[in-house]
Amino acid sequence: MQIIYHIIVFYIAAHLIWYIFKEKKFWNQLSAAIVLIMILLRLLLVK
Amino acid sequence: MKIHHITGFFLMIIVAVICFATARSFISMHKIEAVYPSRFLTIQKKLSAYFPGLKDSPGDTDVFVFESQNPGGTLLILGGTHPNEPAGYITAILLVENLGVSRGKVIIIPRSNNSGFTHSDPQEGNPQRFSFDIPGGKRWFRYGSRLTNPIHQWPDPVLYVNPAGQKLSGTESRNLNRCYPGRKKGFLTEKIAYGIMALIRKEKVDLAIDLHEAAPEYPVINAIVFHENSAELSALALLKLQIQGFEIRLEASPPNLRGLSHREWGDSAQIMAILLETANASHGRLKGRSTTGLILDGKDKNYVKAAQLGRLFIPFDEKGVPLRQRVSRHLAALQALVTSLEELHPELCVELENIPSAAEVQKAGIGAFLKGQK
Repeated sequence: MQIIYHIIVFYIAAHLIWYIFKEKKFWNQLSAAIVLIMILLRLLLVK
Repeated sequence: MKIHHITGFFLMIIVAVICFATARSFISMHKIEAVYPSRFLTIQKKLSAYFPGLKDSPGDTDVFVFESQNPGGTLLILGGTHPNEPAGYITAILLVENLGVSRGKVIIIPRSNNSGFTHSDPQEGNPQRFSFDIPGGKRWFRYGSRLTNPIHQWPDPVLYVNPAGQKLSGTESRNLNRCYPGRKKGFLTEKIAYGIMALIRKEKVDLAIDLHEAAPEYPVINAIVFHENSAELSALALLKLQIQGFEIRLEASPPNLRGLSHREWGDSAQIMAILLETANASHGRLKGRSTTGLILDGKDKNYVKAAQLGRLFIPFDEKGVPLRQRVSRHLAALQALVTSLEELHPELCVELENIPSAAEVQKAGIGAFLKGQK
């Protein structure tokens, strides 16, 4: 079950990173970066 | 390289720095602080030695046993049932680091809800740690949460029916002091309670004391809460404490409030069960800013005002209620209960040695009686 959860969180994180580099408007990039922090912490720290 | 690639790159660096800093802080909450037992320690165990269902789980915790060669009673002392009530677990740690026993047996669990120490209550803004100056340095201690970490026990039921049959709100399924007598195959918190009950039965505990704190606006405060099995003992201890100048009251454990230590230890294991409460402004609802100063000095202008308005159940002035005073109260109450036990039941006598008196802790501070890293 946990591996499925990790795969979903990894997909969202990868998608956000891709979006940050693709997006041209700074404020949209910043919004994605703020969300990415929480997603990465989830990805790395979930027990 | 285009401009939005450069801004994206810098944002990724900022994300990495924030993730590193917060992850480091988060992981540090799971680090268990060292305890340096006194040379009189007989054996250090884990709670899972009494209930293997806790082995390798975040609910397993250290149990310190001090046993003398002379027969007597068995005393169990619990700190850290609620890890946001520091006087409870600091008193227990102070005992572990100083205690000697010349008669009977003393068992101490300083971090009863080990999981509760690994997180902080959301939306409280509490500091993660507080420290004491000790000879040659500092000792840091966690300020945890009243409840088991949801990482370790999740999700909460909407309605929680505890092992004693009491209906409570769902979050109380993570409150160790609502989960007695525990369930062998229940939630993690119920398993911890089950493990403590197993210890009580296996070690044939005669008197068990649960060390707590209460918010100044809570009516059960500066009190000895007793099961009817220990009514006489509590009354005698109260007299001794009042003679020493401590303002303290007796509160009978309500028979219809189930799942609490002072009720279920007495009902399920037929032992003398006591819960001690001191006044902790840092976990009250009227507190101002949460700081280490509030935990250690217990000063809060909101509580001063509340006392002036007659909203509190204890006197509260600008001097506050410092942690050293709260730990002193617990130590004085423990001594009073132990000497009362000897008077009422000489065959269950437990003689404690080498522990600092309430007056010594008041004068020299808690740090003077804590050990440093070896």
